[in-house]
Amino acid sequence: MTNTLLKQTISMGEALSVSVTGIIVVMIILALLAVIVVLLSKAIRAVESKTRKKNAGKVDEKVLSPVVKETKKNNSLKALPETQSIGSLDLYKTDEKTAAIIMAIVSNESGIPLNRLQFNSIKLIEE
Amino acid sequence: MQIIDALVSLFQESGFAHLAWQNWVMIAISFGLLYLAIVKKYEPLLLLPIAFGMLLVNIYPDIMYDPLAIATPGGEVIDASAHWYDSGVLRLIYCGVKSSIFPCLIFLGVGAMTDFGPLLANPSSLLLGAAAQLGIYVAFLIACATNLIPGYEGFTALEAAAIAIIGGADGPTAIYLTGKLAPHLLGPIAVAAYSYMALIPLIQPPIMKLLTTEKERKIKMEQLRTVSKAEKIIFPIVVTVICVLVIPSTAPLIGMLMLGNLFKESGVTDRLSDTAQNALCNIVTIMLGVTVGATAEGKTFLAFKTVLVVVIGLIAFMFSTAGGVLFAKLMNVITKGRVNPLIGSAGVSAVPMAARVSQVEGRKYNPSNFLLMHAMGPNVAGVIGSAVAAGFLLSRFG
Repeated sequence: MTNTLLKQTISMGEALSVSVTGIIVVMIILALLAVIVVLLSKAIRAVESKTRKKNAGKVDEKVLSPVVKETKKNNSLKALPETQSIGSLDLYKTDEKTAAIIMAIVSNESGIPLNRLQFNSIKLIEE
Repeated sequence: MQIIDALVSLFQESGFAHLAWQNWVMIAISFGLLYLAIVKKYEPLLLLPIAFGMLLVNIYPDIMYDPLAIATPGGEVIDASAHWYDSGVLRLIYCGVKSSIFPCLIFLGVGAMTDFGPLLANPSSLLLGAAAQLGIYVAFLIACATNLIPGYEGFTALEAAAIAIIGGADGPTAIYLTGKLAPHLLGPIAVAAYSYMALIPLIQPPIMKLLTTEKERKIKMEQLRTVSKAEKIIFPIVVTVICVLVIPSTAPLIGMLMLGNLFKESGVTDRLSDTAQNALCNIVTIMLGVTVGATAEGKTFLAFKTVLVVVIGLIAFMFSTAGGVLFAKLMNVITKGRVNPLIGSAGVSAVPMAARVSQVEGRKYNPSNFLLMHAMGPNVAGVIGSAVAAGFLLSRFG
């Protein structure tokens, strides 16, 4: 396509050709990325799995999310019923009812009973 | 008498005597946008500077004065003795938009703020991010078809490509591509793109509801796996290599996006990551927002072309949403009911607004449903998808 043509309108046939090619190109590149991500993930997990087996003695400090940690250190937690959590919780612009709902949802979604979760703070993010 | 003469002279030099009706209309529109930004809190970080830039330029058009302006398409300069430093102050800052520096720096900040974890945990999200670019190509077709309107010359191929990118729902990408292909349409396209991004909670839900059944909207998705640090570090490097090798013109956008992300994920450049996602991004947002708003000067902005850009932009957004939802429905069929189609709409790249819409809509039909992290995958994939789509249009028409 010459520069002169680009300054003009193009026919619907040409436009259709550009559109179809465009969506196919985007699909192919992102599908290619998806395949590479899958392969890379498998390779990395395989390497990490081997490393873990080698270091079997070491404690796996797996962090589930930035704000929610599964507590394993405190043995006294095991005595708590599954509906109770441990420690003190700081609430910022959040009422207790909302906090309780959030804690219950996190427990339900993560599949970890409340007595094995520790919440440090719940903060309302105002936009 | 001298006092009266002075008052008359003052009035004649004031904006009241010089502004055209189009400027007054744009001033009213800027008030509306300021209201949406401050009271309704629709994307205030962007909408407020854009609206204020719009207000400034319509009260005092010389703030965007360009002494080196080209008078004819042939390149005839109005005043050969003029200097760049005689430009209006916003025109000087606008150089950052015209040279594509600002959109690229915004992408650096976006990269530093983005967590690609949900996408890595569910790589098929990338396909949703691709499908939700459908609106770009539908909008391109419609923009090209405007030459069928009787008595109207229609959009050129370059203009059509620039307008089409509104469907990517990605402000910096829209500004980047328009600055390269059709800089004279930067005002309408930027205003349309950011306005529709702000209005995503109003535009998307009816389309999502129309294209899905209640049963599909209630689908609960499995929890995503934990993604390792190594995966997160390697991802930006791989994306850069693949995308830039296949479509080299994506280098400025994808390159900066992934550099920002590598700052964040590498764990060894915390200071750079912090600067990119906070100070730098905020500074550039101010300058980009104000100067983009300042391109909406009434006499040039209020034209039939602007109306068409706004209408086509809305259609593009709607088709992008539909593309994502329909592809997610297809994935739901293939996976035998394991994908909630509502996450498809998040494939338009307005991060994180589109993902939040999926979450809110999902909870309306199943209060125990948490789609946010599932929707973040297609959402960040949409950022890559729209940058690739822009790169394709640039390689075709740039």
